[in-house]
Amino acid sequence: MSNPSKEWGVNPPRTELTRRGFMTRVAGAGAAVALSGVPVQGWTQDKPAAKPPTDPPGTVPNPGVMAEKVPEMQAHSERPLTGSVPAEHHNYAVTPNDRMFIRNNHLTPDLDAGKHRLTVKGLVDRELAYSVDELRKSFKVVTTQAMLECAGSGRASFVPRPSGTPWSPTGGMGCPRWTGVRLRDVLAAAGVKAGAVHVAGQGGDFGVVATAAPVIRSIPMAKAMEEHTLIAWDMNEKPLPKVHGYPLRLMVPGWVGSASTKWLHTLTVLDAPFKGTYMDGSYRIPRVPVKPGEKMPPDAVITEAWPVKSMITHPAPDATVKLGRPVLIEGRAWVGEGAVDRVDLSFNEGASWQPAAINTGGDKYAWRIFSFEYVPKTPGYVTVLARARDDKGSLQPIVSTWNPLGYFWNGIHRVGFVVEA
Amino acid sequence: MTGVTSEGFCWLTGILAAASLVAVALAQDAEPSKTLIPGKGSDLATARCATCHDAQHITRAKLSRGEWEYNIRNMIERGAPIAPGEIPVILEYLATYYNRDSPAPAPDPSAAGFGMDAGGGDPVQQLLNANACAACHTLDKRVVGPSFREFAAKYAGDGEAPAKLARKIKDGGSGTWGSVPMPPNAAISETDLGQIVGWILQQR
Repeated sequence: MSNPSKEWGVNPPRTELTRRGFMTRVAGAGAAVALSGVPVQGWTQDKPAAKPPTDPPGTVPNPGVMAEKVPEMQAHSERPLTGSVPAEHHNYAVTPNDRMFIRNNHLTPDLDAGKHRLTVKGLVDRELAYSVDELRKSFKVVTTQAMLECAGSGRASFVPRPSGTPWSPTGGMGCPRWTGVRLRDVLAAAGVKAGAVHVAGQGGDFGVVATAAPVIRSIPMAKAMEEHTLIAWDMNEKPLPKVHGYPLRLMVPGWVGSASTKWLHTLTVLDAPFKGTYMDGSYRIPRVPVKPGEKMPPDAVITEAWPVKSMITHPAPDATVKLGRPVLIEGRAWVGEGAVDRVDLSFNEGASWQPAAINTGGDKYAWRIFSFEYVPKTPGYVTVLARARDDKGSLQPIVSTWNPLGYFWNGIHRVGFVVEA
Repeated sequence: MTGVTSEGFCWLTGILAAASLVAVALAQDAEPSKTLIPGKGSDLATARCATCHDAQHITRAKLSRGEWEYNIRNMIERGAPIAPGEIPVILEYLATYYNRDSPAPAPDPSAAGFGMDAGGGDPVQQLLNANACAACHTLDKRVVGPSFREFAAKYAGDGEAPAKLARKIKDGGSGTWGSVPMPPNAAISETDLGQIVGWILQQR
C-alpha cells in the first residue's frame, strides 16, 4: 500500500508500465509480446488489446532506449515514450544521462550524425546549412549546466487530474551539462532581417501514422538571442543519447521542455509566433484561471519559463534515521528566469519555517543545491517541506493553479521519514 | 478556493480523515486497463487512438466532456486520422465511459463494433480493429492508406494476390500506392493474416 502522506497531493501511478515491462519485450526476442499478450481482467478477457505496430524502420525501439536508463526510471507511457526518476533518485549535483527524463511526442528517430544537416531559413539574409562538425568548427563552443523540465512535470498532483502524462511532482526534469554553440551566433551568421519576432525549431521525429504533425515550436527572438540558448550536441560531455535528440537539439534553458526541440534539423526565423498544434493546441495555459475541470478557454497563452520550484532529494520517502544523529536534508531549487534566493524548510507541516543553506554559485540556469543539518530530537514519523523563493519575491505555492492541460505544477514538496530511537 | 486539491485542503484545515486519503490513493494507484470498456464507439475509439497510443492514455483518465472535446480536436491537429463524421461518435464514447462527472454505464460489447460493414460482431472487423488496420484503411474511402475496395480491385485476377498482400501486410513498405509507408505487422498470426487477406480480396 502506498503511503499517501509522504507526498501530499500526489499519487503517481507507478504500477502501469515499468522497466520490467520493457525487459519482457527484450526477453521476448523481438516478438511484440508485452502489450498484446497482457492478461486483462473480467469482461475484457476475451477481447485482445489493440496491438501496437512493430517499430518502423529508422526508429530506436523503446527497450533500446530504456536499456540506457537506470532501473529507477519509471515509464509513464510507452507510446509515446515518457519516463522519469523520482526525487530521491535525483540526488546528484549534475543529472547523469541515465537519469534524465524522457518525453517523446512521437517515436525515437535513429538519425545519422554524418548525414544530419541543420538548415537556417526564413527571415534571414542567407539560408545556411551545417553539419554537426561544421557547427563545431564555425562557432565558439560553449558548455553550460541548465534545467530542462517538461511543462507537464507534476501533472499528477492536480485535482481533478488533467489528461496527459501523469508526471509525479518532481518527475519530468533534470539538470545536465550541455555543450554546443549559441543559437544567436548561428542566427548572426545567417543575418536576421528586420521584423523577426520568433524562431521556430523543427525536429526530425515522426509518428506511426504519416499524418502525424511535425514537432515545431517557436520562441521569441529575445530568448533565442540569450547567451545560454544553445544548439547542443553533447549532454554531460557525451553525444546526446538518441532519445534526447541525437545528433542536435535546441537547449532553451529554464523554459518548458517543448521549446528545446530534439532532433533539430530546421530553424526558421518568423515575423510572428509559429502557428501549429505544438503552439496553439498544446502547451497553453488560460490567461485568467478557470474553474478546475473546465476546458481550455479561447483566451490562453503559450507556456514559457518555469515558475520557482524545489524538491527534496534526501532522505528518501519513508527512510529510517537515528534519533540524535544529524541527518543532512538535501534538495534542489530552480526557477525558469531569474534566481532562487532562498529556500525554507518546515518540520511541522508549515507552521514555522527555517532557512536552508543554498549554494549560490554555478551556471545561470542550473538548479541550486540546498541543504540543512537536521538533528532528530524525538522518535517517530517526521515530515519535511521545502519552499523556494526567487529574486522577484515569488514563493512556491501550497497548490498550483489548476489549468486544463496540467502545466507548471510547482507546489511545495513534502517528504516523510521515520526517526528510530 | 478553486485550485486547492482535496488532499491539500484536508491538510490545510487539519480535518484530515486518514482512511479516506488511503482510499483515494488506492483508487488512483490501481493499474489502468489496457483495453477500452466495450460500448457504443469503443472499437472506433480503439482503432483511431491505439495506432499511436497505449489505451491507458484513455483508461487512466477521467475528464469532463469539454476536456475530451478539446483533447480530440488537439489529436486531430496532431495528425490523428479521424474523419469528421467520427468525431461525435468518439466524443460520445469517451464522455460516456471516461467522465469524471458521471459513472460509466455497464459495458456493452454488442454495441462496440463500427461501420466497416453491417454487424458489430463480425470477426474480420474485430481483427481489423485489433490490429489497428482500421486506423488507416476503410472499406470504400481513402483515409491514410487506400480503401479495402481499392486493394481488391488492384489484385483482381492475380493468382498470387493472397501471398503478395499477406507479405505487404506483414512486412510493410511503400511505393505501391504512394509515399505514405505502411508499417510492418510482424507479430500478426498466420491464421489472422489469412482471414484478413481473404476478406480484403472479396471486397470488390
